[in-house]
Amino acid sequence: MRIAIQSWLDERFGLQAIMDFLKKKTVPQHKHTIWYYSGSSILLFLAIQVITGFMLAFYYKPTLEEANKSVARIMTEVPLGWIIRSVHFWSSSFMIALVFIHLIGIWLVKSYRNPRELTWMSGVFLLIVTLGFGFTGYLLPWDDLSLSATKVGTDIPRSIPVIGAWVTKFLRGGDDVTGDTLTRFFSFHICILPIFIFLIIAVHVYLIQKQGMSLPLAVEIKKEKVREIPFWPNFIYREMIVWLILLGVVFSLAVFFPPSLDKQADLMAPAPEGIKPEWYFLFLFQTLKIFPAKILFVSGDTVAVLLIALVGVLFFFLPFIDSKPSETKGKILTLIAYAFIAYAVAMTAWSLLE
Amino acid sequence: MKLKHSLFTRRQFLSGLFGGWLGALLASFLYPVIRFVFPPTREPDQVILPFADFKDMAPNSVKNFSWGSKPGVLKKNDDGSYLVFVAVCSHLDCNVVYLPDKKKFFCACHEGWYDEQGRNIAGPPPRPLRKLVLSIEGENLIISREGFEGAPKK
Amino acid sequence: MKLRMMKKFAIKKKFLVWLLFFTFFFLLFFAQPQFSQEAKPAEQGKALKPEKSPEKIVPSPANIKEAVGIYVFLAWMWLSIIVLIYFLRLKIKEVDRLHRLGYFSGEKK
Repeated sequence: MRIAIQSWLDERFGLQAIMDFLKKKTVPQHKHTIWYYSGSSILLFLAIQVITGFMLAFYYKPTLEEANKSVARIMTEVPLGWIIRSVHFWSSSFMIALVFIHLIGIWLVKSYRNPRELTWMSGVFLLIVTLGFGFTGYLLPWDDLSLSATKVGTDIPRSIPVIGAWVTKFLRGGDDVTGDTLTRFFSFHICILPIFIFLIIAVHVYLIQKQGMSLPLAVEIKKEKVREIPFWPNFIYREMIVWLILLGVVFSLAVFFPPSLDKQADLMAPAPEGIKPEWYFLFLFQTLKIFPAKILFVSGDTVAVLLIALVGVLFFFLPFIDSKPSETKGKILTLIAYAFIAYAVAMTAWSLLE
Repeated sequence: MKLKHSLFTRRQFLSGLFGGWLGALLASFLYPVIRFVFPPTREPDQVILPFADFKDMAPNSVKNFSWGSKPGVLKKNDDGSYLVFVAVCSHLDCNVVYLPDKKKFFCACHEGWYDEQGRNIAGPPPRPLRKLVLSIEGENLIISREGFEGAPKK
Repeated sequence: MKLRMMKKFAIKKKFLVWLLFFTFFFLLFFAQPQFSQEAKPAEQGKALKPEKSPEKIVPSPANIKEAVGIYVFLAWMWLSIIVLIYFLRLKIKEVDRLHRLGYFSGEKK
């Protein structure tokens, strides 16, 4: 019966080609195979975010007067609403953490080598979109902390010369953070960013399938035959184990450590003490803090933002900068990569301890 | 009675067990989703209104009040007694209006008619208007859902 | 060499599993949820009256029935995960064996 339905669909869609491809696709087994699991786990959490996001959007009202109240209603009146919101909250942190882990894995084994430059670059776009999801979603409960974090976050681009003010205006929907900012962020969060992330994921995943799984530089250099296992079903079964464990951890954390909701933001009130962005922005936040107010005749913020932007651009073009990965230049760039990771971790830790 | 051949292979058995259990786990995730997406009805059991607002009604006239998110209508009959309805048509949920000159309730959506007792008399409505229970306690008018235990006896 | 690596990995895995188990066991007994019906100051009022937003809403199960239901669900979820992982390991062993025998490379569908 199942086979009859499958062949009926296959006559029309031709999907058997996809199944054949998945069965032929192989995954190399070596010391660094564990990194291969990070990509699909990101998709798992994206799926969770979409589903819980759909549900939250049933009750959330994206206006200045109703936002906080509607979240409060979700948490108190709607049956099990607090769990759905908690899953959405924890799953977002897990997704961003996995994006970082995925990034670090690719970075250190240099998977961006020829011919995978575009996969890396589309990945950088995905990183930006994912962080955008986190940033826009954080404002939506509209409490004092998220309002202040958004004020600071949208003020930072202002330090960019020439275009800075325009970027801030675009993000805020005006000069200040108002109800318009909230509506704009909501539109980004549920409409604009999802379209972008799905389009870029399509490109990213297509490239990976077309070019096959990459081998880490260290393994490729050895030039010995690497053991490979079929993607379907061998690797998929292993991935399912990882997904099950991650699901279990996320749901347990969501039940025992649900996020609370502070009272509605007051646009006229002074900033609360100890405002901090979410953990994934802490290292950038701390970097801005350590720059002095003025360097020569330029504001410290401008220098910091331009420096970060420069690093971002270099990061984006890394496959072309690291053109000879196995030689000295490549080794130096790997050391710089380790230094960056250590820096980010140290800055995050410092920010948390303050 | 021992079978000569197995109904299924060991592989099929384990696959079935695995798939079935996975399905059960995913179905159990569905339960909170369903409860979230179908919140409980928000109709009140009772509504308390100040009698003063309704004391000076003329006979054969109506006054509206809120029954949760639906409109309610309090009708003073010719003999001075009261009738209370949920002013929602039993056909497709449009709000009905009372026409005192005709002594009928009218639903404009599909031209449904109810008499002054709320019984459906013409047009598509399949059932009469829903009645509510009224009682007057001192200063207050208490309107309750039919079958609500806390409703004071009239 | 591979066997030694596998043994070390197995020991590390066992340690992690027990650590996770004890963490959640510990949480179960010490992270008792405060029911929102008790914790919230008497502000439950009728939906008709406009409410002043409380200082901070700390989410928790609404009543004991919901709390017990959630605990039962978590226990069922973890039990299922353990069982499913057990089955998956069996399937992986089988499918790796088939791959070594060349079962899949023969398929020309």
